[in-house]
Amino acid sequence: MKYILLMSGTQAGVASYHTWAQSDRDRHMQTLGAIVNDLVEKGEFVDTQPLSGPSEAKIVRGEKNGLPVTDGVFPEAKEFLLGYWIVDVATPERACAIAGKISAAPGPGGIPTNMPIEVRQFIDARTRPH
Amino acid sequence: MKYMLMMNTMRAGAGVPAWPKNDLQAHIAFMLGLNRDLQQSGEFVQAEGLTFPSQARQVRAGKDGVPITDGVFPESKEFLAGFWIIDVETPERAYAIAGRISAAPGPGGVPLNMPIEVRPVMSAPPAEMM
Repeated sequence: MKYILLMSGTQAGVASYHTWAQSDRDRHMQTLGAIVNDLVEKGEFVDTQPLSGPSEAKIVRGEKNGLPVTDGVFPEAKEFLLGYWIVDVATPERACAIAGKISAAPGPGGIPTNMPIEVRQFIDARTRPH
Repeated sequence: MKYMLMMNTMRAGAGVPAWPKNDLQAHIAFMLGLNRDLQQSGEFVQAEGLTFPSQARQVRAGKDGVPITDGVFPESKEFLAGFWIIDVETPERAYAIAGRISAAPGPGGVPLNMPIEVRPVMSAPPAEMM
């Protein structure tokens, strides 16, 4: 069963991260790196990617003539995707356990950030109804 | 340059299966045709549909390290319905593909004009995050 674990945040959250001490950032990234290494060892790792910030994000709508209409303005309070992990696991509980580990990654002073992680299952093309 | 194209829906948008069968089939055929085109042009990396918001979970690490799982989300929350990861030469090409996805046919074959969020994917966290 494939799941995507979504880490989202706001502009204020990202600004706060930039005020962390370098040692806190190092510990945070090392923990996230160790989680990925563990997933690779267990054969559960598919992919992980960070996304660039909302200043580089665009919202696109298709116009009637097929040309894209592009808008770069995001509401200040909008949550946006910071990054994701795709995992291939045996049970939903395992997906949630991995999300829990990511949520527990240390923040300033080594205290877990407890960031909410959204856990979403992929539709399996082999079993989808249509 | 890798981009993630994100199709988000409100909870109310979870009613796609209520469309007439031929409209749903036309929509799926459009999406499969798009993926084939991207594969032929060498721009396709990955595309996935996600299961409905009712199956989404939010996980936070508890103090004891046990994940706390919650399935209740704010009514106004946007949900990721599906995504594409593409590898293209220019941002404009990413917007053009997003515009095509946005124009996917809905009920009666009328383009949905869904907003598609276009985000550059980084292969590693940016230097300022490390």
